[in-house]
Amino acid sequence: MADLKTLLPELQNALERRQLDAANDLLSKAKRALLIQNALIPTPTTPPQLVVLGRQVLELGALASIRQTDAQTFTRYYQQLQPFYDLERHVGGPNQPKAKVDVSTSQRSKITGLYLLLLLSSGDSANFHTVLEGLVEEASLKDARVEDDAYIKYPVDLERNLMEGSYDKVWRETKSERVPDEDFGLFSNVLIGTIRSEIADCSEKAYPSLPISNAKNLLFLESEGAVIEFAEQRGWILRDGRIYFPVEPEAATRSEKDILLASGTVIENTLGYARELETIV
Amino acid sequence: MPAERRSLRSNNKSDASSSANGEKSSSNSQSSGAKEKAAPATRSASNKAKGAPAKKGTTAKGANNGMEENDQSQNNRPDSTENGVNGSEDVEMGEDTAGAPTSSFNTRKDRNGDEKMTVVVPPAKGSRPSKKAGQEKDEDTTMEGTEPGDSEQTEPEIDPTTKAIQDIKINFTLLDRAVTHFDPRFTLRVLRSISSMRKHITPEVLAKVIVDIYPDSSSMASFLLEAIDQANAFEAVPADLKMDLDLEKTKGTAKDTLPEVDAYLAILVQIYLFDERKIQQGADFSTNLIERLRNLNRRTLDSLTARVYFYYSLFFEKIAPLPPSPAAAVTSIRQTLLAALRTAVLRKDVDTQATVMTLLLRNYLSTSHITQADLLISHNRFPAAASNNQIARYLYYLGRIRAIQLQYTEAHSHLVGATRKSPTSHSACGFYQASHKLLVVVELLMGDIPDRSIFRQPALEKALHPYLLLAQAVSVGDLDGFLNTVNTHSPTFRKDGTYTLILRLRQNVIKTGIRMMSLSYSRISLRDICLRLGLDSEESAEYIVAKAIRDGVIEATLDHEHGFMKSKEVGDIYATREPGEAFHERIRACLALHDESVKAMRFPMNQHRLELKSAQEARERERELAKEIQEGDMDDEEAGGDFDAI
Repeated sequence: MADLKTLLPELQNALERRQLDAANDLLSKAKRALLIQNALIPTPTTPPQLVVLGRQVLELGALASIRQTDAQTFTRYYQQLQPFYDLERHVGGPNQPKAKVDVSTSQRSKITGLYLLLLLSSGDSANFHTVLEGLVEEASLKDARVEDDAYIKYPVDLERNLMEGSYDKVWRETKSERVPDEDFGLFSNVLIGTIRSEIADCSEKAYPSLPISNAKNLLFLESEGAVIEFAEQRGWILRDGRIYFPVEPEAATRSEKDILLASGTVIENTLGYARELETIV
Repeated sequence: MPAERRSLRSNNKSDASSSANGEKSSSNSQSSGAKEKAAPATRSASNKAKGAPAKKGTTAKGANNGMEENDQSQNNRPDSTENGVNGSEDVEMGEDTAGAPTSSFNTRKDRNGDEKMTVVVPPAKGSRPSKKAGQEKDEDTTMEGTEPGDSEQTEPEIDPTTKAIQDIKINFTLLDRAVTHFDPRFTLRVLRSISSMRKHITPEVLAKVIVDIYPDSSSMASFLLEAIDQANAFEAVPADLKMDLDLEKTKGTAKDTLPEVDAYLAILVQIYLFDERKIQQGADFSTNLIERLRNLNRRTLDSLTARVYFYYSLFFEKIAPLPPSPAAAVTSIRQTLLAALRTAVLRKDVDTQATVMTLLLRNYLSTSHITQADLLISHNRFPAAASNNQIARYLYYLGRIRAIQLQYTEAHSHLVGATRKSPTSHSACGFYQASHKLLVVVELLMGDIPDRSIFRQPALEKALHPYLLLAQAVSVGDLDGFLNTVNTHSPTFRKDGTYTLILRLRQNVIKTGIRMMSLSYSRISLRDICLRLGLDSEESAEYIVAKAIRDGVIEATLDHEHGFMKSKEVGDIYATREPGEAFHERIRACLALHDESVKAMRFPMNQHRLELKSAQEARERERELAKEIQEGDMDDEEAGGDFDAI
């Protein structure tokens, strides 16, 4: 207990001063202390102060792992935090006895928001929506909307815009002043990379050709040189200051291939029908 | 000759009915020494006996007589016990005799017909029935002496309480038969009858039944009685009656009541507590009940146990911290349900397995623990032999989970299955509506517009109205209208649990809007698109259109410098593979439907043997017939000859 209390400020300090290696050392010590106290997973009998300490250690751990861009460790911390947060949700209920556990220091929405953003940037939209669904339910229970929480609103808005295709909005959101917390900013680069490749995909199909200067704006690149570099990466053809997107293989040859492919499936289907008919009759 | 043939056939009928009677009454006398138990069985038996010979069916009066008779037989049972084993049979006959003084011409004729038929029986086949007829006559005479004196005690009207008691007891015989024949269909029939009986369940009825069938030392009896606040029901029984009862019990059968009967009564108690909103009491009762049932390992108990779990979970759903809250009471029963699932799988108990699995899914989803629900599904295989309703429920929950996980195609197929399998009866309307609501949203999310006819069904019209507005907004790509609908109906959507899914529809509305525009204009400026769709900026519009082109929603190109979208010529769709694929899709659906319906067919056990037997009989009869015809021919010839001679 005493160990933990001294460890915690040290840990916070280390994080603030960005001494991540030192923080890692402290974290492993703190987690060991938690284990000895048997408080790594909270039970109803765990003393409230210990629960708070445990949660704080894990939260700091999660933040530390985010700053080291270690997605796996962050996910592990997030999972470990769930029992703590569940306890918190119980306490937050309308007709529950007064909170025994101090929830004022909890960074739950921040951690959850970061997790959502992580899911979003890794393209795991199924899990994203699964987590979100739980949050929506919970919020509607308290007559609130998920969007009321700035930390949650951010990834939710980003997702909506991404799905819709309003990439310019995503771009604007990822700029530093819009980001609710510096830790969220860590994902901006990943997200910009994602939307850039999305836009590139779309452009290939949508435009026959594009002036390089326009492409710079479209792709949110700083200079025309960056555009040229990017274009070469994707194998686009540059001519007379315009980008020509590689045209799909000739329509004629494609249709021929199509027919070959189609006849195969048609035969297969017909044979299937015949077999089914036989079993029926 | 023809007359005799007819009588032969009708005799077969009466033969069958009387043998059925015999079977029933014998099973009665075996199964219980309790005196009332015989009564309901004989009622049905006697009605049947009456119904079979009476070609126009028994009249209402006849049925009434039967009822009256039952009351009578209950009352005069102390007398008739002296008749010993034949007791149940003579009650059955008593119906005719007692009916005679008061009955109309009809019943008398019936009886006469009955006797006549038994007389006409050819000796070869009818040795048994005729013997029986003799017996019956004997009993007629013996019974007639006792009847008139008691008949004054009988009530002319059927008391709903007695009726309920009788119904419950009929079900005991069915359960008994389910155990002896090892045939789950009897149990299912019992469970089906619960809904019709539900209104009549009162603590008095239950207490009476319990007192009648259990010895008062039985722990199960006191357990049941405590739950319905009738703990002193045994003392309440009048002393003289009690003595008779004790006599019956000690003399009849010392063996315990079947666990199936225990479970059945417990279910009735559960239903009673639930209907009376005694939720906490019901929850405690169910918890204890499950403790008891878990120790039993009987396959004939499966479907009853499943029902017990169902009500168990229902009780907990109603307890104070209600489901959406993460601290809900339902979370506390997960452990029990998971244990039950494990046991059920090990015992190959399909009924409980299916029920508990749907209950668990429902449980998880109610507190939106979707990940856990998904894990449950991935670690378990749902029994294919589960009852239709359970499959429908399972498919619904599965569809819901998949929809949340953005796997719309899968969700769609599950939900279609759920709506098709959902029972069409009026009481199951809620499920039908809920699954259709979800189905409509999922179809919209897939970019399909649901069929207009869905919204016209009388069972759905009102409930699905907000969804109709939604579908209309999506189908024309009207973003403002869509947002309006969502805002005005958001409480409904939230209640249905479709709100988050509906929010995802926004992009679909935009896509449809773009498609409409690309179809109507060969060239349109991005500015106009932006205005028409109510988007925030031209830039957004450009990206959105580009995405639509990439996703294959429209066939068009963008001109960035001049800021317009140019639609491509729409090719002939019949030149593509599209129609073939649609055709294939439909054929597959039809074939799947056929397969499913074949799989859904149920065949009664050992039926083929009966068929074989009847086929053999038919063949014999045919042979006889042929012989007779041959003889008849000869007769004809002879007769013809005679005529000629005349």
